Amino acid sequence: MKDLPQTVFVVDDDDAVRDSLRLLLKSAGLSCESYASGPEFLTAYDPSQPGCLVLDVRMPGMSGLEMQHELNLRGATIPVIFITGHGDIPMAVEAMQHGAFDFLQKPFRDQELLDRVQRALARDTEYRARLRHTDRIRERLATLSPREREVLDLVTQGKANKMVAGDLGVSQRTVEIHRAHVMQKMEAGSLAELVRMMMAVAPRP
Amino acid sequence: MVGSQEIDGSAANGGTQRTRTIVVAGQSSNRTREVLRTLRGFSTVIWPKSLEAALEWTGAADVACLVIADDLREEPVDEFLREARELHRNLPIFVITDPDDVAEAVSAMRNGATAVIEIPPSYAALREEIARALQ
Repeated sequence: MKDLPQTVFVVDDDDAVRDSLRLLLKSAGLSCESYASGPEFLTAYDPSQPGCLVLDVRMPGMSGLEMQHELNLRGATIPVIFITGHGDIPMAVEAMQHGAFDFLQKPFRDQELLDRVQRALARDTEYRARLRHTDRIRERLATLSPREREVLDLVTQGKANKMVAGDLGVSQRTVEIHRAHVMQKMEAGSLAELVRMMMAVAPRP
Repeated sequence: MVGSQEIDGSAANGGTQRTRTIVVAGQSSNRTREVLRTLRGFSTVIWPKSLEAALEWTGAADVACLVIADDLREEPVDEFLREARELHRNLPIFVITDPDDVAEAVSAMRNGATAVIEIPPSYAALREEIARALQ
């Protein structure tokens, strides 16, 4: 499946800042959409749209940090670059602790912002590719029978067929057959590949 | 502990609880040392010169957190943070820095700091950050 084109979303209550950022981003060949407030952006935002967000910290009504909180509640993964003319360390730390990609103080050089936007877009591309990969693995896992899943779990723990047979109370030959089905359904070329797949979908601590 | 200095806050704890160690990389200002001394339940080991030695020490079982002091700004702190984070994935790491240096704080956070605290660090700020990180 081909990715949708990436968009740089800009949220800033200052018309002049929005206009200058839009011009800058377009001059670098980037697609840009701008919004004057957090609620306006949140109403329009579609999480399937790849890209990144350039977000002003201080805005009337919903602040940038509040908007980040709202995005987190919605499970959004879009990389957020905060921009502010009044930043301090506690504010920057809070933004970064809550998953901001970057935090940039005004005034900044055009190239400085463009570099960060490019890095944020690259991160988004990477994340979405990883997500597609894990989705495919989960789809394959869903095709396994309960017994095949048990065999998969045990062999990826490093157990030999004989031990798996002992654990499940079946013959070694039966384990071999289940294991062959697992490899086929998971489209794994080797046990190492199977282990990597399971690590990719394992819950993170 | 060659090259290290030790201050002990365990007395403030009344000796009733097991103390945990705060490892400090850098000479650390007097104010920082004073704040660390007052943290109940912690003893502090300071490695004034060697980031590497501090990093080795953080492998000990009773280490509560690592504090990178404000006098290490000339050192490759980001590199050190990445290394520390790679070695100790869940260890709380605090960087104490100049209040004006937002860019440095952002860089430290990106490279694995749990939080960045401005100098002079207050007792409340450090205690709050450490308590939050240890939860």
